[in-house]
Amino acid sequence: MALIVKTPRYAFDLIEALGKTGLLTTEGTLYPLLSRLRRDGLVKTEWRESTDGPPRRYYELTPEGRRALTAFKNEWTSFRGAVDGILQEGIKS
Amino acid sequence: MTAPHADQLIDGYLARLRVAAADLPASVRDELIEDMRAHIAEARTREPDETDATVLNILDRLGEPAVVVAETRERLGLRAPMPYRPGLLEIATLILVPFFWPIGVILLWMSPAWHWRDKVIGTLIPPGGYMGVALFGVMFATVHTGGSCVTVIEGTGQAIQNGCQTATGPSALATALSIVAAILIYTLPLITAGYLGLRLRWGRRTQLALG
Repeated sequence: MALIVKTPRYAFDLIEALGKTGLLTTEGTLYPLLSRLRRDGLVKTEWRESTDGPPRRYYELTPEGRRALTAFKNEWTSFRGAVDGILQEGIKS
Repeated sequence: MTAPHADQLIDGYLARLRVAAADLPASVRDELIEDMRAHIAEARTREPDETDATVLNILDRLGEPAVVVAETRERLGLRAPMPYRPGLLEIATLILVPFFWPIGVILLWMSPAWHWRDKVIGTLIPPGGYMGVALFGVMFATVHTGGSCVTVIEGTGQAIQNGCQTATGPSALATALSIVAAILIYTLPLITAGYLGLRLRWGRRTQLALG
């Protein structure tokens, strides 16, 4: 979701971006995730013509999606802090 | 370089996806297939020179249809359909259909393990199971022993004439035919039960194959 914060993107573009991070091994599994986000009203989609290929479905965060992302960021930050704390504790002892 | 089998490979992939997604709600399935189709089309435009191998790589990266469908189920909170496992209900059905027809047939129609066509066959061949056969046998005997027995008794209680006038005796061919018919009729309930048993196993295998 963070990948579509600034600008709407289309799925293939997202897959390429995720591929670079090594987070996505089976590309097809991104589509069920996007479909779920859309059904939950966190993203909205729109077909757009492309200049260099077939029409693409663009995904864009809804206001609700933005709120969910912010909430997740906060949760993730505190979770990461907690895990880091435990790991450092382990190293010290 | 060309990809002579590109369309064949892609159609094959989408067909397998459609089969794997057969139990998903239609809207979900259509959207998934549409997304995949768009993805493949997009990926193909990125390949400077397309070969069968590059098409296969695109499909490989997408993932096995079963994996994608499993992910879809999980994301949308849909439960995978459990293949129906025949159990006690079906065993009771197979025993009761020939030997205690009314209950057996009720169980037969309750069980989801049989196709409706097999349920009709199980119900009607023969109607009544062994009860039906016995009833039929009684009727058959009543109609065909058309002869009459006459016993004339004297005043002293002694039978002076005890004769049966049988109807015209059946020919050898008719006797043979009626024996065959009798054997068939008396084994029919068991044959039907055996048939139902076989259909049960086949039904299960088909479900697993589609899994």
